[in-house]
Amino acid sequence: MIINVDSPVLEIHDLTVSYDQSPVLWNVDLSLPAGKLIGILGPNGAGKSTLIKAVMGLIPITGGYVKLFDRELNEVRSRISYVPQRESVDWNFPASVLDVVMMGTYGKLGLFRRPGKKEKKIAMDCLEKVGMQAFVDRQISELSGGQQQRVFIARALAQEADLYLMDEPFAGVDMATETAIFQLLQEMTAAGKTVIVVHHDIHSAMNYFDWIIMLNLHLVASGPKAQVVTEELLRKTYGGKLNLLTKVTDIIRQKDFNPLKS
Amino acid sequence: MSFDQNAFLIIFTASLISISCGLLGVFMMLRKMSMTGDAISHAVLPGIVIGFFVSGSQRGLEVIIGAGILGILATLIIDWLKNKAKVQLDASIGITFTLLFAIGIILINMLAYKVDLDQECVLYGEIAYLPIDLWITDAGFSMGPRITYLAVLNLVLVSVFIFLLYKELNLTSFDENFGLVIGLPAGAINLALMSMVSYTTVSSFEAVGAILVVALLVVPPATAFLWTKKLTSLIKLTCALGIFIAITGYYMAYLVDSSIAGMMVAVGGIVFLGSAFVKSIKPNWIFGTSTSIKPLEN
Repeated sequence: MIINVDSPVLEIHDLTVSYDQSPVLWNVDLSLPAGKLIGILGPNGAGKSTLIKAVMGLIPITGGYVKLFDRELNEVRSRISYVPQRESVDWNFPASVLDVVMMGTYGKLGLFRRPGKKEKKIAMDCLEKVGMQAFVDRQISELSGGQQQRVFIARALAQEADLYLMDEPFAGVDMATETAIFQLLQEMTAAGKTVIVVHHDIHSAMNYFDWIIMLNLHLVASGPKAQVVTEELLRKTYGGKLNLLTKVTDIIRQKDFNPLKS
Repeated sequence: MSFDQNAFLIIFTASLISISCGLLGVFMMLRKMSMTGDAISHAVLPGIVIGFFVSGSQRGLEVIIGAGILGILATLIIDWLKNKAKVQLDASIGITFTLLFAIGIILINMLAYKVDLDQECVLYGEIAYLPIDLWITDAGFSMGPRITYLAVLNLVLVSVFIFLLYKELNLTSFDENFGLVIGLPAGAINLALMSMVSYTTVSSFEAVGAILVVALLVVPPATAFLWTKKLTSLIKLTCALGIFIAITGYYMAYLVDSSIAGMMVAVGGIVFLGSAFVKSIKPNWIFGTSTSIKPLEN
C-alpha cells in the first residue's frame, strides 16, 4: 500500500540503485508529506541506508529521480540535513565535541569563511537540545557510543534545515536517551520540520512515527501509521522473520505478560 | 661552538621543509592517506624528468608542473583502481607508485646524456651541498642558497593553503560524506591537497630526496598524534618535531660523518619508537577516559 501526497517534501520516482550491477533497490516510488516524523523499516540488507544515501546523492542512481522540495538536490542542499551512521567515521579524530557540532554550520558559511560567535552559539544551543552541553570541550575519542550519536544529531540540528535524514540514529543508544531524542524529533516535526529516520525496532516505531515506509528491496508500503501497519504488510516486509516477533506480541497482548513482575 | 653559517643554512632549510611536509602530513594522516603521500613522492619522478627534459634545467617551472600533473595522476589512478576496479587500497598504492617510479628511472637512463639527474640524488638528496648551490642573479650578484629560497616559498604556499582551507580540510578529513552532503567540493579539496603534496615533494626532493620527504610527511604527524588528540596542538607539535629532527639529524650526521638526510629519518624514527614505547607502558588511567554514560535528562 503506497499512499501519495500533494506537494511532497520528498518525491522519489521509480528509483533503482545497484551495486556492481546487482540492484539493491528496485523501482521505489513514493512521496512524503511535510511536518511528519517518518520511519523507514525493513530487515537487514533491505536497502534502508541505501535509500537515504541515494536521496543525499552519496551513491549513484541507476534509474529514476529524486526531488526535494520539488527541486534538484543541489538547489536545496542548505535545507537538508543528514545524520550518517556512527560507524561511518573514525572517532579517534582529533576534534572536540564543539568542533564536530560546528561542522553543521559550515554549509551555510561557504568556502574560506571561518566560523565565529554566531556559529558557536548555534552549536551550543544544539548541544543543549541533545543534553550534551556538559561535554563541549570533551575530545570525541572519549565519548561513549550513545554520546557520539547525540553529537551527530546535534551537528545535524546545527545545519538548521527543514528536512532531516537520519541513518540509524538509535543504534547503540540506551532507552532513556532514545525516548528523549524521540521527544526532540517530535518537537521538531511539530515546528514544521520533516524528519526521516532509518529504524530497526518495530515496537518503538509504532509508538513514535507518524508515517511509516516499509522496505525490502522493493517498496512494500508508505503511508500513515494507522493505515500501513497491518500484519499482512509487516509479514511481507520481514518475511518469515516476523513469526517470532508476532508470537511475542501476541503473548504480551493476551496475558498482559510482564517478565519483570513474574 | 662558533656560529657555523653553513650548518645554520642546512638546519634552517631542513626545518622549513620539515614544517611544510609536516603540515600536509597531518591532514594526510587524518585522511588515512599517509601511504598515498609516499606514493606521490615517488610517482612524481617521471614528471620531473619530462619537465627537466622539456625545460632543459632543473629550475624550470615545467619541472614543478610536470611533477604536479604526475602527482594528481597517481592519486586518480589509485582512486580509480580502488573504487572502480575494486583493488584494495594498499595494493593499488603499491602498483601505482612503483609503476610510475619505474617509468621515471627508465626515462632518467634513456635521457641520461641530456638530463643532469641520477637516481641517487632523487632518492637521497644532497642537502650537504646546499650552501654551495647559490642563486646568482643575472647581474652576477649572489643571493644565497637557491634551495633555501625554494623552501621558504614552499612553506609560505603550504601555510596559506592550509590557513584558507583549514575548515574544509578538517571537515572532509573527519567525514567526507558529510562534506559532500553540505555541498563542499570534497573531491576538489582532496585533489588540491594532493597537488600541494606533489609540489612540496618536487620543491624538496633536490635537498632531501624522496625518502626523507616521505619520512617527513609520515613520521612527525604520527609521533605527535601519540601525544595529543587536539588538532591545533597536533599541528604545533608536528612542526616542533620537524625542527627537532632537522637539528638533531644534522649534528648526529656531523658527529659520525654520515648522510644528513639519512640521519634525520633515523632520528625521526627513533623519536617515534620511543614515544610509542612510552605510551604503551604508561597505564591507561593516567590519560583515562570517562566511560560513565549520563542518561539524557529532559
